Amino acid sequence: MYLNHPFISKPRLAFFYIFVWVVIMAGNVLLRWVAYGVNPGVASVEFFAFPFMFSIIGIPIWYVIKYSTIENNSVGRIITSHIMAATIIVLIWLYLGVVIMKLLHPEFDEWSETGIPANVFFGYMLYLVYVLFFYAVNYYQGFREKVINESRLKSLVKEAELHALKSQINPHFLFNSLNSISSLTISDPGKAHEMVINLSSYMRYSFKHFQTDKVTLREEIKNNQYYLQIEKVRFGEKLNALFDVDESCFDATIPNMILQPLYENAIKYGVYEAAEPVDIVTRATCIDDLLEITITNNYDPNVIAKKGEGIGLRNIRDRLQIIYGNPSLMKVEDKRDKFVVTLFVPQN
Amino acid sequence: MEDKLKTIIIDDELLARNLIKSYMQGADNVELVGECENGFEGVKMINELKPDLIILDIQMPKITGLEMLELLDHKPEVIFSTAYDQYAIKAFEHNAIDYLLKPFSRERFLEAIKKVSERIIKGDFNSESTSKLSEELRGGFLDRIVVKDRSKIHIIPVDQVIYIEAMDDYVLIHTDEGRFVKQKRMRYLEEVLNPSEFVRIHRSSIVKVNEIKELQQYEKESYVVILNNKTKLKVSKSGYKKLKEILNF
Repeated sequence: MYLNHPFISKPRLAFFYIFVWVVIMAGNVLLRWVAYGVNPGVASVEFFAFPFMFSIIGIPIWYVIKYSTIENNSVGRIITSHIMAATIIVLIWLYLGVVIMKLLHPEFDEWSETGIPANVFFGYMLYLVYVLFFYAVNYYQGFREKVINESRLKSLVKEAELHALKSQINPHFLFNSLNSISSLTISDPGKAHEMVINLSSYMRYSFKHFQTDKVTLREEIKNNQYYLQIEKVRFGEKLNALFDVDESCFDATIPNMILQPLYENAIKYGVYEAAEPVDIVTRATCIDDLLEITITNNYDPNVIAKKGEGIGLRNIRDRLQIIYGNPSLMKVEDKRDKFVVTLFVPQN
Repeated sequence: MEDKLKTIIIDDELLARNLIKSYMQGADNVELVGECENGFEGVKMINELKPDLIILDIQMPKITGLEMLELLDHKPEVIFSTAYDQYAIKAFEHNAIDYLLKPFSRERFLEAIKKVSERIIKGDFNSESTSKLSEELRGGFLDRIVVKDRSKIHIIPVDQVIYIEAMDDYVLIHTDEGRFVKQKRMRYLEEVLNPSEFVRIHRSSIVKVNEIKELQQYEKESYVVILNNKTKLKVSKSGYKKLKEILNF
């Protein structure tokens, strides 16, 4: 809860408030002059002394309603505090009004007989109007705040979801790679060096971007090639990565690290279990506003893989849905000896 | 030391094997007698060469290191090597199993070898705890059962299992493709098979629910199930209760 007066936090509201009062005053004076022949000077003084003075004295009523909000207080307390506040404000207002009238009004005595009691009633009425007005403002502010909080919360949730969905570097991959490097430092230091560089580039890429970041296809493929080269060191001839990407697609955008789990799956279920070399083929075409990427790998259909797969694929689907708002941007086909995953990435 | 430990390395990655080999050159109490890159070769080589020690990777193609252990007639000492497996590490520690986390240092490797050879000298073998380990390590229910039929290894997906019969210390696994013997107890299989698919209907049988065609009463209070392939199996009282629950009758 903030106590800031809305006229301070929302200058536009203050301008509007002043404007309305000026219009009312002008209208009142004009009407009395034209319709009842009241001297505009007298009418102005009368208006200034009472209604206009209330426009100033009424401003702090905001704090009364803030201290007796409808949500947090009993009806009895709210009514009591308003009656007390109204009485105090009306008394001060009347006193000031009478002083002004006495100083400026030519027929003060005549006026005071009827004017004072009428204004007591009028003061309470104005107080009521102010209270309703400020409650409305307060309610609206609360509502706005809630909407903002909700949308902030939503984006936080989305961020958290994406964080969970974005592929993390698989620790198994990392430690196995380090083990390969450890072995190569003895047998082939040059290759060990190369592998350290590739691993670093790949890790840097995966740490660099936020979950919602999009990168160019060029960048995504380049970094996945680091990954594939590392795996190539481990699997040798068994792993064969081929790329067939339309020139025009390289500048298309794609969520970062979205392809990696596909390569990881292709290696885990294709290369890893196979006795024969496995081709992992990446094709990309751009048609209108759609980038279409297909990753295909052959696999040995006789291998009974342990279950638990599918999480990687589901994560990609979920991530595409969160980013592009479309649940059908991924197609998975199992052709008995071939596994084909197609991603459709909207461009605009 | 006269008696060197005859050792086999089983790891699917050449570089990983090379590293262990280079470490072994510094150890005078081990002797490399063979290396292989998957569990199928591993079973064959172990049964042929009868090593004292194997250095075994867990994550391997075809069958895992742990599944391979289930198939061995000759049970050597085992040092597990794994890159990352939080469940395995927990189980290793729990069972006081020797293990190496890749990448490991030469010192760490030699230390593990020393521990094993000391144990062997004391005649304190660890194969009991390693076989317990594989039971502890399965995450969730089994997807497949690995069996050995003479020299051939079969991987049976649990989807293909029709029913399992008890046979002394063994079980007989009936599938479409025939029957396979596995050196496990019914208790164990009852635990590792998904209870919404498999029901222990009797002391001596576990049946796949989908394969049941009929349930017949043949005496007062005693029943038999008839399977799709016409096999008849006795149902015990508690088995009947379980069937009633799962089939909702």
